[in-house]
Amino acid sequence: MMSHERYRRALLANPLGTDPELEAHRASCEDCRAFTDRMLAFEHRLLRALKVGTPISVEVLPFRTRNTVRPTKGARWLALAAGVAIAFVMGTGIWLTPRSSLAADVVAHMTEEPNAWKTQAALPAGELNPVLKRANISLDPKAPTVSYANSCEFRGQVVPHLVVQSPRGPVTVMVLTHEAVSRARHFDEQGYRGTILPIPQHGSIAVLMRAPGTTAAEVDAVAAQVRTAIVWGS
Amino acid sequence: MHRLRVGAKQGRARFQALCLALRPDLLRFAFWLCHDHALAEDVVQESMLRAWKAQESLEDEKAAKPWFLTIVRRELARTFERKRLNTVNVDELVALEDSSLAAGDQADLAEMRAAIFKLPEEYREPLVMQSLLGYSTAEIASELDLSQSAVLSRLFRARHLLRALCGEDTSGDPR
Repeated sequence: MMSHERYRRALLANPLGTDPELEAHRASCEDCRAFTDRMLAFEHRLLRALKVGTPISVEVLPFRTRNTVRPTKGARWLALAAGVAIAFVMGTGIWLTPRSSLAADVVAHMTEEPNAWKTQAALPAGELNPVLKRANISLDPKAPTVSYANSCEFRGQVVPHLVVQSPRGPVTVMVLTHEAVSRARHFDEQGYRGTILPIPQHGSIAVLMRAPGTTAAEVDAVAAQVRTAIVWGS
Repeated sequence: MHRLRVGAKQGRARFQALCLALRPDLLRFAFWLCHDHALAEDVVQESMLRAWKAQESLEDEKAAKPWFLTIVRRELARTFERKRLNTVNVDELVALEDSSLAAGDQADLAEMRAAIFKLPEEYREPLVMQSLLGYSTAEIASELDLSQSAVLSRLFRARHLLRALCGEDTSGDPR
């Protein structure tokens, strides 16, 4: 039987570890279970703190070269103006690299948050509500368990990135109020199966799973459940 | 195996897509080590330039993240060698970070960020690699050239110290 000290030492070194010996101890020790819950909440807070905002890049190859001297304020304004001009040119399609598909971007974003699927425990309301509030949405009380929530940068917007638990395993949900799609689009990218569902007046939601053998019908069922669970603010 | 260079044009597009996907976490990693957003941007940009020039050495696209991270770490080391970085006022830095670029706006995140900055670098770096980048103990050990037990020990100490700095009850923590 593992000692409390050894368990807690291992937990502090890797709170999301899935060692069976640790899980056995956790199942048999109420104190360590409570300690684990506190550690997981702390770990979630740590991850949110580490995810500082990053500037959105409109740069394309070839890369700019390093500035050995910091630009003056005037030069920074010029650079900003140039950036706006580039964004305008790209936005109007005069010089356009085809925008990567929405599905590919959603999958790419998932790879940036490798810890999102590591826990199954329900996220405390204190962690979940700020993410929902920021997007002006809430969840129906009958919504599936949410085990992860973060406000993420995605295509220049801050969007809720949620993980909900389903009988088929964890499901990632991204609420994309700024991405309107004309119809549901299924995708199968890098082992992820999902759908992007149009939400009239509220853009779309992306729902994706990675359980092997997941069918499109199963994805649709989960997506419909998630869609029903989201309550849109006015 | 996914070779990155499948044709000049296609290879360039894929490389660019890789850079765009990995850039946010590389920037964050560099920021947590150098305490300076502008410097982190320079380091990551320079790293991507080096990566572009050395892309032949990336055999498998799936290994891109650790490959880029190694380049960023080397570039950071070069930067630290070139110039002695100014002492940082952590409180000012956290206030600046939270007013301009923070993903969240809660006071507890500001407190946590201040605490992270106060961690010794030998604790902070593996912690960022594990929590932010999702590295396994073995991957961190390989990147930092440490034994796995040394990595686990540093991660334990990092979280114990971080919890204390954040005012958490650490009476139940092992010593």
